[in-house]
This record gives sequence, C-alpha cells and structure tokens, in this order.
Amino acid sequence: MVAPALIVSLLLGIYPVLDTFRMSLLQYDLLRIAKDGTPFVGVQNYLEVLKNPQFIQAFVNTILFTLIAVTVVTTLGLIVSQLLNLEFRGRGIVRVIAMIPWFIPPVVASMIWLWMFQTDRSPINQVLRETGLISSNIQFLTDTRSFAFFSIPMIAVSIVRVWGGLPFVSLFLLAGLQALPKDIYEAAKIDGAGQLQRFFLITLPLLRPVLGILLILLTLGGLGHFDINYVMTKGGPQGLTNLLSILSYQQAFIFFRFDLASAVSTLIVLLTAPLAIYYIVNQVKDQS
Amino acid sequence: MSTRIMKPKAFSLLKLLKILAVSALILALIVFILLPIYWMLKSSFQTNFEIRANPPIWLPSSFSFKAYRDVSVLLPIWSYMANSLYVSVATAVIATLFATSAAYVLARFRFPGAILILSIILFTQLIPSITRIFPIYFLIEDLGLLNKRGGLILAYVGFSMPYAVLLLRGYFKTSIPPEIEEAALIDGCNWFEVFGRVVLPISLPGVVAVSVFTFLGAWNDFIWASLLVNRGALKTIQVGLADFTGELGGVSHINAFMAACTMAAIPALIVFFLIQRWMVEGLSSGAVKS
Repeated sequence: MVAPALIVSLLLGIYPVLDTFRMSLLQYDLLRIAKDGTPFVGVQNYLEVLKNPQFIQAFVNTILFTLIAVTVVTTLGLIVSQLLNLEFRGRGIVRVIAMIPWFIPPVVASMIWLWMFQTDRSPINQVLRETGLISSNIQFLTDTRSFAFFSIPMIAVSIVRVWGGLPFVSLFLLAGLQALPKDIYEAAKIDGAGQLQRFFLITLPLLRPVLGILLILLTLGGLGHFDINYVMTKGGPQGLTNLLSILSYQQAFIFFRFDLASAVSTLIVLLTAPLAIYYIVNQVKDQS
Repeated sequence: MSTRIMKPKAFSLLKLLKILAVSALILALIVFILLPIYWMLKSSFQTNFEIRANPPIWLPSSFSFKAYRDVSVLLPIWSYMANSLYVSVATAVIATLFATSAAYVLARFRFPGAILILSIILFTQLIPSITRIFPIYFLIEDLGLLNKRGGLILAYVGFSMPYAVLLLRGYFKTSIPPEIEEAALIDGCNWFEVFGRVVLPISLPGVVAVSVFTFLGAWNDFIWASLLVNRGALKTIQVGLADFTGELGGVSHINAFMAACTMAAIPALIVFFLIQRWMVEGLSSGAVKS
C-alpha cells in the first residue's frame, strides 16, 4: 500500500534532484546538442555560474528576500496569533478574514498587487500623499534606489509574499499557542508578571519548538521562491528582484542552457538540503 | 487572557488604552488583508474610463458587470477554468488515494525501511521544486505527455503527495485509537476491511482536508503549468492570467483583467468557506505536535 506513494516520491522527488546534479556536470546546451551531444565537463558549469555577476546578484537577492520575508512574516504572525487568541466579540469573523489570503492563488495576488503598485493609480500612494507622508509618488516596482541593502522593488515583492504567507504563519502559531499549558499563565499573573513579561518570558520560550519548525519551513520556501517575483517583475528592474530559481528557470527555458540551469539548481539544493536534513532528523528522532 | 484578578480601580484608564491599542491593531490587520481583495473587486465593477482616473476612485459610481462579459472575449477564460478544474480534481483524487493508503501503513506498522520511506517523502516535500523541474520536464516529454493534461496531473500528484502523506499520517496517529481496529480484527476483519470499513469512515475529515489541499495546490500552481502545457487550448487559468501581464503596462483592459482575477480566485475561495471551520483544529491536530 505504500508502493504507489513511494514510487511517485522516488520518481518525481529523489531521482530528479540527482539527475539535475548529473546534468550540471555535462555540457547540456540544447542549441549545440545536435552537434556536440552532452560531453562531461566536470565543474566547468559551476565555475561559469560563480563567475557570472548575475548569479552573485541573484544569490544575494535570494538571501535578502528570504531574510526579510521570513523575519517580517514571523514577527507579524506572532502579533496576529496573539490577537486571534484574545477573546473579543467578532473574533470568529476576524479569524476567517485573517485566513483569506491563503486561498488567493499566488498569481492572482501578484496581479492585484501589480495593479495596486501602478505608480500613478496606486491607492497606497494616494493615501500616503494625502496624509502628507510622501510628497511624490513611490515607484514601487521601477525605482532602483536602495535603503540599506534593500531595493524598493525588493521590498514591494516581499510585501506580497508576506501578505500571502501571513495566514499560514498566524494559524500555525495560533495552534502552537493553544497547545500551551494555561496554569503557567495563571501562576505568572499571581506573581505579578505583566502582559509583555508573560509574552517574552513564558510564551516565546514555550513556543520555541513550534517557531523552530516554522522558521525552517519558511526559510526553505524563501530560498526556492519563484512565483511572485517571476509574475510581477520577471526579476527586474536591473535584476533587483531576481532570485536563484528565476535565474535557473530562465537559463533553461529562454537560453536553453540546461547545464548552467542545473548548476544553479544544484546550488539551491546545497543551500536547502542541510536545513531539510536537520528537520528530517529531528522529526524522525521524535517518532522513535 | 482575562484581567479579572487585578483590582478594579487600577485598570479603568489602562484597560481603555489597551482596548484601543488592540482594536487599532486588529483594524490595521483587516485593512492590510482586505484592501487588495477590495481593490480587485471594485476594479472589476468599474468602467474602463473610471478605473484609469488619477487619483484612483475608491467607490465605483455604478456597478457594471460589463468587465465580466468582456473578459470572455479577451481570453478563452472558460476553457482555462475548465482545464484547471479538470487537472485539479484529477490530482486531488489520485493523490488522496495514494496518500491515504501510504499514510495509514506508515502510521500503523513498524517495518524495516519505514523511517527511510518517511525521510524520502519529507525530503521531497522540503526541497524547492525548481531543483527537480528539468528532469521531470524531460521525463514527461519522453513519455509523450508534454502539452497533455495527463503530464500535468502526473507532476501535480508528485509534488502534492508528500504533504498529503505527512498530514494524513499525523491524523491517523492522533485521531484514531488503535483499539477500534483491534476490535474489528478480533471480529474477523482482515486489514483491508479494517482500513476500508472502519478507518476510512472515521477519518473522513482528514481525508477531505487532504483532498482540499491537493486540489488547491494544483489550482494555484503556476510554474509547472507554465512549462508542461504551453499550447493555448490546454492552458490552466493561472498561466492564462500571467500571459496577460504584457498588456498590464498599458492598463487597457484592467477592469476585465481584475474580473478574470476574481474568477480565478472564486473556486479556491468557495473551498475556503466550506472548510474554514475545521482549519484551526485540523492544523493543530495534524501538522503541529505539542
């Protein structure tokens, strides 16, 4: 009974990762394949990729994107899960609203935000201008200036990622909160601990296992992220929102360089595998 | 958390401030979440002239469904929707079938290799799909399934199954006491009968949740559909929508476009309203371990 699932996992899960690695060691250029075939070239593709400034940019962007998306969505998720755990009238409806973005397809979410980020017709610019927070419109997806390490388009696409990811994170943390023992809070209250103290000294430490799982899942998702950036900006302007997965996809399906694409993909495996293995080892240890 | 234990004098002003702060936070949250949804809906009901106003108009002066009629002229939207529905339902059925049987065995029996199988499934779930897309593309090409719905369904079953197995395995482990099965075995059922007549009926909520998630995974997907099906008539709705981006620069048909977005979101939202009641409980019993 396990066989179908196992076969599918091996055929569509493990074999392709290994085969991508194999392709990364060959010359696999569809435009030259008829003439040259696919000769073994060793690490040459990796050298070519690592020397490419586009790769360096996409690599740095992937790390930055993951960093902001993960920290912002987790911080917001902690706040939202606390709010959803309070007892107030209308909590049911707020919980339902908080889950809605989860069910908006990422392509649709990207499209809506693309429309809302249209410089001249953006409701966000309108509100910011009328409240006097800005004097000229923000060019969300075309301004190439950067603040600290973060370019404006990068911040813009990260907002979309946070919007779409917040429901899952909040619900995950809410489930974690509801599993915490109640009596500790009563005891802490009697001892005079304030709300903030209770949050930082009791809730956060107790949530650590749940937060750990969540951070691993979010980091893995961020390092392999594709949809939003591809649909909204195709990695532009000037590669400012380009990510490793987009670089790999374009090398393969625009330039037909499956060898370089596979090298980039294998580097993504190297980046994500240690975290994944750490997670698996922990899960398996819990089982036995 | 109630503040009942505190003395009544101390909290009147403090409590008011706290209520205000919490209300403001909840309001901000609701605005952040709902603004894009509202913007999509209101844009789809505005005329193409009004929608291009600068500064933007927040309340449509009249509700028009014209954009929804226009969109079927601009895009073969109904065939996109039908294609998406077809592959998503097929994926949900096949993946749930495979995942249920695998999850049950992995939850109930200890056998050599069980941990290895679980690890393989977890690994597949965790590593980003971009890292396996090229070999799968060639595999599906070799099978002659490129530009066929079958190829897309195969890829979707592959990428949604790990999550389905893990979720269901958690469900079987936590929600179904082994005693029930033992009783059935003593009564003379074999394992297959136990699974079909006893386990499946009581675990129906978990099975439904998994089929919903696999359906949504397929419905929402962009990357696989963009690669494996590029012939117009077979495109899924997400790819069909993305093809429209070129035109967005000119904002020429943005109201029709937002109408298309609304239509692409509706099946997923219907599913959401059907299951939202169970989501908090489902997630806490399956995915998160205390």
